[in-house]
Amino acid sequence: MPLVSTNRLHKFYGKNHVLRGIKLDVEEGEVVTIVGRSGSGKSTLLRTLNGLESIDDGVIEVDGARLDVDHADGDTLRALRQKIGMVFQQFNLFPHLSVGQNVMLAPQVVKKMTNAEREGIARDMLSRVGLAEKFDAFPDQLSGGQQQRVAIARALAMSPKVLLCDEITSALDPELVNEVLNVVRRLAAEGMTLIMVTHEMRFAREVSDKLVFMHEGRIHETGHPQEMFARPATPEFANFIGSLN
Amino acid sequence: MAYQFDFAFIPDYAGMFAHGLAYTVGLTVAGGAIGIGIGIGGAISRLWNLRPFGNLYRYYVELFRNTPFLVQLFLIFFGLPSLGIKLVEWQAAILAMVLNLGAYSTEIIRAGLQATPPGQIEAAESLALTRWQTFLYVMLRPALRKVWPALSSQVVITMLGSSVCSQISAEELTFVANFIQSRNFRAFETYFFTTAMYFGLALLIRQAMRLIGRHLIVRRPLS
Ligand SMILES: Nc1ncnc2c1ncn2[C@@H]1O[C@H](COP(=O)(O)OP(=O)(O)OP(=O)(O)O)[C@@H](O)[C@H]1O
Ligand SMILES: [Mg+2]
Repeated sequence: MPLVSTNRLHKFYGKNHVLRGIKLDVEEGEVVTIVGRSGSGKSTLLRTLNGLESIDDGVIEVDGARLDVDHADGDTLRALRQKIGMVFQQFNLFPHLSVGQNVMLAPQVVKKMTNAEREGIARDMLSRVGLAEKFDAFPDQLSGGQQQRVAIARALAMSPKVLLCDEITSALDPELVNEVLNVVRRLAAEGMTLIMVTHEMRFAREVSDKLVFMHEGRIHETGHPQEMFARPATPEFANFIGSLN
Repeated sequence: MAYQFDFAFIPDYAGMFAHGLAYTVGLTVAGGAIGIGIGIGGAISRLWNLRPFGNLYRYYVELFRNTPFLVQLFLIFFGLPSLGIKLVEWQAAILAMVLNLGAYSTEIIRAGLQATPPGQIEAAESLALTRWQTFLYVMLRPALRKVWPALSSQVVITMLGSSVCSQISAEELTFVANFIQSRNFRAFETYFFTTAMYFGLALLIRQAMRLIGRHLIVRRPLS
């Protein structure tokens, strides 16, 4: 059984039909990269997966937590969100909390961990992203790359089954991109299930088990990245690859 | 012959002035603390349109921001007894201060909460925090920090407005000044000294608010 599965997923913004029946299965340990032109619905899809956007039809299931149109109350959403971590393009760290506090907040208030437990986890997660020594620093004292790594540690501290990453290097200066990609690379190697949107095609080809090409709200083409790049099956994807260079 | 200034009487009334000053400080501290508390509750009720508080707060805020403080005070002190609610002077004075400041701080704090970057709320939601947890741990402190200067000014304005409470014989600073002046007819000296006390008190309150604000801003561990 797939870890993440969506079926008949539809989403409208007013009259704009943004997701037009998405069926996506992600196995445990799989790394899935979603690509596509601007406006094709990549972010919307990621955001519906953890309930940041409501859906108008369809089902989302993540490791036994299930959400559909008729079952999307607060408890259902929070059950889903405990299975899914999310990292954003703009980091979105809490500026009034130290790095350690950023990572410990959800373990404290959501999982009700004791002081020692949550501090242990926070220190572990921060060393996983190479920032153990920044425990007491504040977000505004860190570079963009470091902030994004803290954001990853913050998501990991809730022990999610799957991590969503929406263009997490797009807001970074070019020289800071690699330190973040390296963290993602390591997570992938450790078997973390990842669903990401990225414009770093080389990286996507390197780490992904599955590539998903979205076009006008649908999954237009999907498969193994090497094969898809070698032999695009649809003119739209061929076109998309062509536009990259 | 020019007017002869004579401040010599002031030490004789030191006890009375001190009483009035303490009374005014008491009104301000109670009004400020409870008023800001009401403002926090009001701000979030209005922001999330919580039923029924959101609407109640809306009418309350409009009512108290668009009527004179003196009339609010009279309504509480002289009006409420007709409804069977009898308050003594200091109770009526504090209630009026609390309600007045509560109305203004509701709007001030609401503006601060509204300025929360949406990304931070989404980050909190994606970590499975509830709405209330998001409010308490993510939105509130940065919001208060942002509006603290405005809130401090409002507390000072309310403190200065408390002089109106002399009208219901609450023995605050202005009441004391009126009393002393009626005894010795040294209007200029009495009110000059009273002015200086209000001025000093206003500076002191600003300073105190700054210290409290620094505590909010200060980077300290969670709870
Ligand atoms: N909050 C919103 N309200 C209304 N329309 C929206 C909203 N968010 C996205 N849209 C619309 O939904 C469509 C899909 O947007 P989405 O952000 O998912 O695209 P994307 O594939 O992530 O694009 P990009 O590569 O630019 O990030 C677009 O037409 C966009 O204008
Ligand atoms: Mg996007």
